[in-house]
Amino acid sequence: MTESVVDIGYIELFAASALMLVAGLVSWKLELGQTRRIVVSSVRCFVQLLAAGFLLTYLFEFQTWWLVLLVLAAMVIAATQIATARVKNRVPGLSGAVFVSLFVSSFAVGFIVVEGIVHAEPWYSARQLVPIVGMIMGNAMAAVAVAIDRLFADMDARASEMFSLVALGATPSEAAAPSLKAAIGAGMTPILANMSAAGIVTFPGMMTGQLLAGADPVAAAKYQIVVMLMLSAANTIAIVAAVYLTYRRRFSSDGYYLDKGIRADNP
Amino acid sequence: MSLFHAEHITLSYRCGGEAVTLLHDESFALEAGSVYDLVGPSGVGKSTLLRACALMMERDTGELYLDGHPSSGFQPAAWRREVCLVPQQASLVAGTVRDNLVLPWKLKVNAEMRSPSDDELACLLEAADLSEVGLARDVSRLSGGQAARVALLRAFATRPHVLLLDEVDAALDDDSALAVGRLVHSFMNARTTCLRIRHRASDGFASGTFALSDGVLSFASAAEDGAIL
Repeated sequence: MTESVVDIGYIELFAASALMLVAGLVSWKLELGQTRRIVVSSVRCFVQLLAAGFLLTYLFEFQTWWLVLLVLAAMVIAATQIATARVKNRVPGLSGAVFVSLFVSSFAVGFIVVEGIVHAEPWYSARQLVPIVGMIMGNAMAAVAVAIDRLFADMDARASEMFSLVALGATPSEAAAPSLKAAIGAGMTPILANMSAAGIVTFPGMMTGQLLAGADPVAAAKYQIVVMLMLSAANTIAIVAAVYLTYRRRFSSDGYYLDKGIRADNP
Repeated sequence: MSLFHAEHITLSYRCGGEAVTLLHDESFALEAGSVYDLVGPSGVGKSTLLRACALMMERDTGELYLDGHPSSGFQPAAWRREVCLVPQQASLVAGTVRDNLVLPWKLKVNAEMRSPSDDELACLLEAADLSEVGLARDVSRLSGGQAARVALLRAFATRPHVLLLDEVDAALDDDSALAVGRLVHSFMNARTTCLRIRHRASDGFASGTFALSDGVLSFASAAEDGAIL
């Protein structure tokens, strides 16, 4: 199967990046203010992916279980940082909660898929673990950021309603319940929409990659089904964990909501 | 013994890293069957005091007692079920009047209680002069005065012992405010008491007035005030 992969030469690679030059020129001429971002993102994409390619080559060749786990751990830390930076609300202890939810969801689902469905040999095979866990985590990371942003925005919007509920004897989880639901729903929307559109509107990245690499379309479809189901499973776990681990931080120990006026970080 | 009393309460808030005292080592008691007014210039800490009584604000010192039992012996939610704060904003949940009135029974803290029948709810509405509104009315179609009374009924429906009212009549016209005062007064019995923040002229329902200023709470009974019930 590897023979059928069309290897892109370095000349073609640089030629392809010339396409980005057009976008950059347009932005520069029209003074769209995006030139810098276009250049930075292009260079980052180029450098990071090539570096990852070389790193994976090395990892596939000299893989040991601890080296693979080390790489996975580094990926969780990076994902935690990116997800936390995307959240606009300031929440104490956010990165710990995000780390736990990303770690649990991507490791649990990733290992179930790699060991139970793909049957990797050996069990720590980097060729399966790294891309699959990475794919799960990339998705979960975006979903968690969306869900947490929604959660805290929604709770602030419902502050007076929650005040009344707590005054009537509601516990924090009862007062926050509608916001928790809204946040989980918001986090789930993209992956569920992708699942509905898959195969009709879009061919997901992984299936496209396999088709380009010459795989049997039905085999590629089966792989993609597994991937989509595991992505939505991992997203659900990650969102639910992140939301439940963080909502209580906006309540006092006595169970009332810390609205904007009485937050310690907002004098 | 008083139904509700607070001992040696000190309250403060942080402003730019500095603690500002709102109430300093004050004690007060509320007797069953009576309504009390709490007055004072705005920003003096009346709402904060009410929140503290409902365990919805940290206090620096002091203890609250219900029927002689200290608040530290209660779960906060169980305390708030007995000492119920009604905020100025009615903040009803979306839905019908019925949805709002049965809301307290959907909470764990009232799990053992049977939720009221429509007949009982209709009786409540009648007591508040809201019979013409009906249980099926959507709350978005209530007037301000009606919404305030529905919020009061919701708080009172589970029979808390202490009602803390934070200017529930502030946005109402005089007639509606009087209706709210009458309703609160009708709630009072041998097992209930009420402390309400008001900015209006006395409506004659209060049997005493607490005045808060500069961290000091002073009390005048209605008889001394010359007000007639």
